Parts: sequence; structure tokens; C-alpha cells
Amino acid sequence: MNNRERSLSGEAVRLEGIVKRFSGVTANAGIDLSLNYGEVHGLLGENGAGKTVLMSVLYGLYRPTEGQIYLKDRPVAISSPAVAIRAGIGMVHQHFMLVPRLTVADNMVVGWETLWGPFLDRSRIRRRIGELSEQYGLEVDPSARVEELSVGEQQRVEIVKALYRGAEVLILDEPTATLPEQEVESFFATIRALRDEGKAVVFITHKLREALTICDRVTVLRKGEKVGTVPASQATESQLAEMMVGREVVFEVQRERVASEGQPLLRVEGLTAVDDRGVPAVQEVGFTVHDHEIVGVAGVQGNGQSELVEAICGLSRLRQGQVMVDGEDLSGAPPRKMAQAGLVHIPEDRHRRGLILDFSVGENSILGRQYESPFAIGQVGQSKRAIAGYARELVERFNIVVPGVRTPARALSGGNQQRVILARELDRKPKVIVAAQPTRGLDVAGIEFVWEQLLAMRREGAAILLVSMDLDELLTLADRLVVMYQGKLVGERKPGETDKQEIGLLMLGGAVETA
Amino acid sequence: MDVLSLDIMVAALRLAMPIALVALGETFSERSGIINIGVEGTALAGALIGATVAFFSGSSVVGLCAALGVGMLLGLIHAVWCVYLRADHVVTGAAINLLVIGLALFLTRVVWGWRGTSAAVPTLNPWILVWGMVGLIVLAQVYLFRTPWGLRLRVVGEHPQAADTAGINVFRTRVAYSVLNGALCGLAGAFLVNNLGRFSVGMVGGRGFIGIAAMVVGNYRPIPAFLAAYLFGFVDALQMRLQDVIPSHFSIMLPYVLTVVVLAGFLGRAHVPAALGKPYIKDQG
Repeated sequence: MNNRERSLSGEAVRLEGIVKRFSGVTANAGIDLSLNYGEVHGLLGENGAGKTVLMSVLYGLYRPTEGQIYLKDRPVAISSPAVAIRAGIGMVHQHFMLVPRLTVADNMVVGWETLWGPFLDRSRIRRRIGELSEQYGLEVDPSARVEELSVGEQQRVEIVKALYRGAEVLILDEPTATLPEQEVESFFATIRALRDEGKAVVFITHKLREALTICDRVTVLRKGEKVGTVPASQATESQLAEMMVGREVVFEVQRERVASEGQPLLRVEGLTAVDDRGVPAVQEVGFTVHDHEIVGVAGVQGNGQSELVEAICGLSRLRQGQVMVDGEDLSGAPPRKMAQAGLVHIPEDRHRRGLILDFSVGENSILGRQYESPFAIGQVGQSKRAIAGYARELVERFNIVVPGVRTPARALSGGNQQRVILARELDRKPKVIVAAQPTRGLDVAGIEFVWEQLLAMRREGAAILLVSMDLDELLTLADRLVVMYQGKLVGERKPGETDKQEIGLLMLGGAVETA
Repeated sequence: MDVLSLDIMVAALRLAMPIALVALGETFSERSGIINIGVEGTALAGALIGATVAFFSGSSVVGLCAALGVGMLLGLIHAVWCVYLRADHVVTGAAINLLVIGLALFLTRVVWGWRGTSAAVPTLNPWILVWGMVGLIVLAQVYLFRTPWGLRLRVVGEHPQAADTAGINVFRTRVAYSVLNGALCGLAGAFLVNNLGRFSVGMVGGRGFIGIAAMVVGNYRPIPAFLAAYLFGFVDALQMRLQDVIPSHFSIMLPYVLTVVVLAGFLGRAHVPAALGKPYIKDQG
């Protein structure tokens, strides 16, 4: 026991001069990093800064082009995840590595099974999982199927999975990206418990506030290079932001007062919609968005926001209710008609609904308008030249970073993919914009861009419906907030007259409606 | 005529065997993520090579081993194409089917001078094989759901990235089970030769495809797949007796009609492994 105690203090891992190149692209350019037992070490950087690549090197998913890894001061070569697991390194990936159809227990032990003869010893496995979940306060049901679990529960499964394999160094890749706001606090408590047990925890994130809240030290990466390591207690948000982006970042957006003319551009009445399984997901929802106005929709993910957006935009069948765009009744109209009437949609899943990943940037930039002149020639022709010209114009105007307009959308970073979508939709000069989680997964620069664009559209008079899981975003941008809970609107607030606590309560269905 | 005698039930087991072997092999293969419609041709290759080797060696056991060997070789070729060269699984499988038919016509002509059939070859008591297979099916069910290797196999077919990050070699797993599938198909072919006492180019007669159907009906589980195969075997046995009653042109259709009908009911209900037919591309590391 004493031996173990001693081994769990001091330096756990040291990376020296890690270089990782992918066919000419340098993802990590000589990074040094030191992780101690009993600390939470933040790895901060924008998308594409090389955080995940660096940790994938440590976990054996990538072999470093150059550089050396030391575990407890001993040089090691980590050639595969199997080697990393044996060395006590665990990684919770941003996209969970769990098989939905299998049980929690099976998912946890695969590749690291506890046996009885040649068979899986399922009762011993369950016992061990029970012990671990008790020790760290991570409640999981070993016999549940993963597909029945919420995102937060799946995350707990991933952490216990790493602990089951004896992880003493635990890498968490953007663990809060998919977590509902309400679960972040208890998740942080878990991380602290792990740290207090002596684990070395790596917390990859691009969210400054979270890094400062949970980490002991923070290392900032930018464009594959290490900018520096600072103790979290001595760092400020703006200092870290500057390290991350390389320039000063303005967090306060300029939300000038623009008077609405009180013209209802989007009016939704008594809208009822069902989800993919046919279960009612939206019930009798009604609201109005005026010109020069942003109305935010708050709510815990899965309370009907997606179905509401799809019903408004004509992507799913309207069960009941009315959708009026600038006075015109478009209930149940197909998306093309919606767009012609001036309603555009920024979809929440940009890979599935926003872009065709294997199509070029040019083709993606005219999606939804492919039948219009000058992109179309007659009924069947297509003017490649008109499309490319238009795309080049958008690329320029919206500062999209692309090698060329013939590059497939797949090759773009998330931020630039979102720019393509925004450029395409906003260039149609819409009256109504339905934006579903437009900044999800974007880095600081990407978020800044989306916010600026939405505010610019508001200035020009558009009515904007903004669905977001990020309360800070809603409180910053929206003129009015409505809260969705179990398919119904349960409250309306003005950002200046409310706070996160109150909205959070409403989101959980906890508060009494005050008229 | 007593249709439901014990006699016919036992005969059905023998007729079901090649179908069940293919179903079992394909279950392993598809559980790892590899579709192999080349099972039809692989079984034919097992029959062809098994018969040829048995003919020359005079030993049915040596012929059997040769059938296993050629099955494994075809399984390996299929796996290399699909796993490493990322070829389309269905196209590769179809190529195997065509290749073997050509080979069969060629080889029978060269060896026996007839188009598509062989002379009589030595056989062995089929019941050793039949009961051995029933044991194998039970073992396979236990292997798949109670052992660590079975669990790893299922994870590879459902979520190869998860398998990879758990330290499992996705490529090697897929190749191994594809080779196993080939071996079982080769065995199925050898068994057909053993039943008939000679090789004939039409002898597999869709049993490979029916084996895939049995796998789907059995929802990728060995014992249910075996029961589905047994149903097909039973109808096959039945139609042989019915030939006195209804014209054989129609009775021979029965197993195939059954396949269509049953599949129509089960297709879409089975849970297909999530990564089936998709090549696993590992980031360069």
C-alpha cells in the first residue's frame, strides 16, 4: 500500500519534444508537457491546435514523428492503445467508444476481461464495477444497455471503463462538449474526486471558464505549438484567451439597441410535432419573433427543440398548428417554399443536414438554390463557372479558410464548415433565421464569427430564432428567452431581468410559471 | 405416406448441414464486419477441391482437409481485399462466385474429361460430420456470448474504433474470422460431395445464399441460425417425398420459395452489425 502511495505522487508523464506530422501537415511541433499525479492539467487550445493529437500520441493511437515519452521518469514507446492501457493510461474520447447494443459491463471490460476459465466472469465484473462506482461516486448500472443511457451516464461509463483498466493517468477529451449544463457541476466533482485519489487527469477543452474552474495547471497550445503552462490560480480568462488565439479577444459583443418595428415575421401557433419514433415531442407551442429581434430557446437537450425546429422549417410533418412567415401561412410547406418565403435554417447537425461532406465547397454553397439561375441552365444543366464564381465571392466575403472552392467540405475544419453554411443561408437575405445550436463545437474565433453574423442580421431587420444549449450564449445574444421543457414552453424571460439560476430551474421544469 | 416421421426429421438434419455451416461461418464473418456473398462459390470450391483430392489420394479425410484449406484460402483472399484494399465486399464476393464456377468447369474437364462432373469419389460416414456440426453450433453460441474472444468479435463488428481504443487489433480480427468463414464453407462443400459421392458443378445450388438467409433469420446467432437452416433442410427433405405427389418441377422450388417468404418477414427485423461492410480506416500513426 505504501509503495502504491509513493508511486502516485510526483511526475506521472513527461512528454519531450513531441512532433507529429500527417503527410506534410504538422499537428504537433515539438511539445513538452509534464503531468503530475494528483493534478488536473488543462490542455487548452482552439480547434485544430493539436490537443487531441498530442493526447492520442500519449494513448498510443498515433506514433510520434519525433520526441520521447517518459512514464515515471522511464522512457517508453507507446505503440498501441493496448500498451497505453497496460501502462496505466486511460482516455475518454470526445465521441464515446461504446457499443450501444451491449451492456455497460461488456463495454467496460472488452479487451481487458476478467475471466473464469475461458469464460467471462460476469458476476465478478459486476462486483468490481460496483466497487469502483462507489469509490468515485460514479453511479452506473452494469447490466443496462448503453443505448438506454443519457450522454452524462455514458460519460460515467467511459470513466469507469478507464478506471477498470487501472488507469492512473486519465485523459478527458472535451468532456463537457456534449454534457448538459446541469450535469457539468457534478461532473467536476467527479474529476476532483479522481484528483484527490492521486490520479493525473488531463482535461482537454477550449472553454476558458471551465479550464479555470477545474484545473490546477493549464497548458495552452496554438497551431501545434505550446504557448506556455500557467497555474490556473494565477491566470485570467482574457490572458488565456490571448494565449490561445494569439491576439486580444473581445468577449463583450456589441449588441446595439435596435428598435423593433413590432412586425411579427415568424409566428408559430399551437404547433405539435412528433419525434422519429412517433412519440409527441412538441405540444401546443406558440410564440412570435419580430423584426430586429433574437428570441432564444433554452432547454436541456432532448426536450423537443430539434423537433420544433424541424417542424417550423418544413423538415418534418406538422401534426398540428400554424407557421406564419411574414404574414403568409406556410404551415407544412416544404423547405424550398420556406426558403423562398424568406425563412432559412442553420441546422444543428452540420454534417448531416448542413452540408454534403463529399461535395465541394462550391456545390455546398448553392445547396437549396441549385435550381436557380445562374447556377442552373435550363432543367438539367449546371453552370460550374457560375457556381465557382459565387462560391469564391462567399469565401472572400465571409473569410472562409479553404484551399479552393473545389475542396470537399469534409476537408474543412468545423469552424469553416459552419462559415460555409452561414454564408450560404445568410446571403439569401432572409427575413427569418432559425439557428439551431449554431456555435456547437466551435472555437473562440468561430463563435465570435457566428455571433457577429447573427447580430448583423438582426441589425438589418431579420427575425432570429436561436436554439442553444449554451445559456451564456442565449443571455448574450437574445432579446427574449423562452424555455422548453418536455415539449412545452414553460416560461419567457428577458435576459436583463433573469439569471442562469432561474433559467436553469425552468429548464428542469422546477419553477412555477409566473405570468 | 407418413410425412412427419422421425426418418424425415433425421434426413433433414443431413440436408440442413451445409446450409447451417455456411450460416455459422457467415455469422462469424459478418459479426466482425465483413459481408461475404462468396460463400456460395467458396462452398463450391470446397466441393471441387475436396472431390479432386479425394479422388487422387483415395482418402475422404485428405479430401476434407483440402476442402478446408481451399475455403480458408478464399476467405483469406476475400479478407485481404476487403480489409486492406478496402474493396467492396459484395463485388469481391461475387468475383469469388464467378471464379470458382469457371475453375470447376475447367478442372472437371481436365481431370475427368466431363463438363462439370467428376467420377465417383471415396466418402465417409456422414453422421460423424453431422453430429460434430451440431456440437460445433452449440460451442459457437457459447463462444460468441460467453467468452472474451466472442465479445471482442462483436465489438469489432459494431464499433471498430471502440475496439481499437480498447487495444484490439481490428484488421487481424476481421481476417481471422473471414478465414474461419472460408473454412466452414469449404467444409460445407466437402459434405455435399460426401452426400452425393461425386462432384457436380450445380451441387451447391444456392445453399450458400440460403445459408446467408438462415443467418439473417437467426439474427446473427449460431443456434437460431442453425434452427433456420434446419427448417430449410426439412422443407428440402419434404419436397423429395412430395415428388410422387406433385410434379418435381414445382416441389424442387419449395426451399427457395420458403427462403423468399421467410426472408421477407425477417429482413429488417434482424440487427445488422453497425459496421458491416464498412472498411475500418485507421488514422496514419
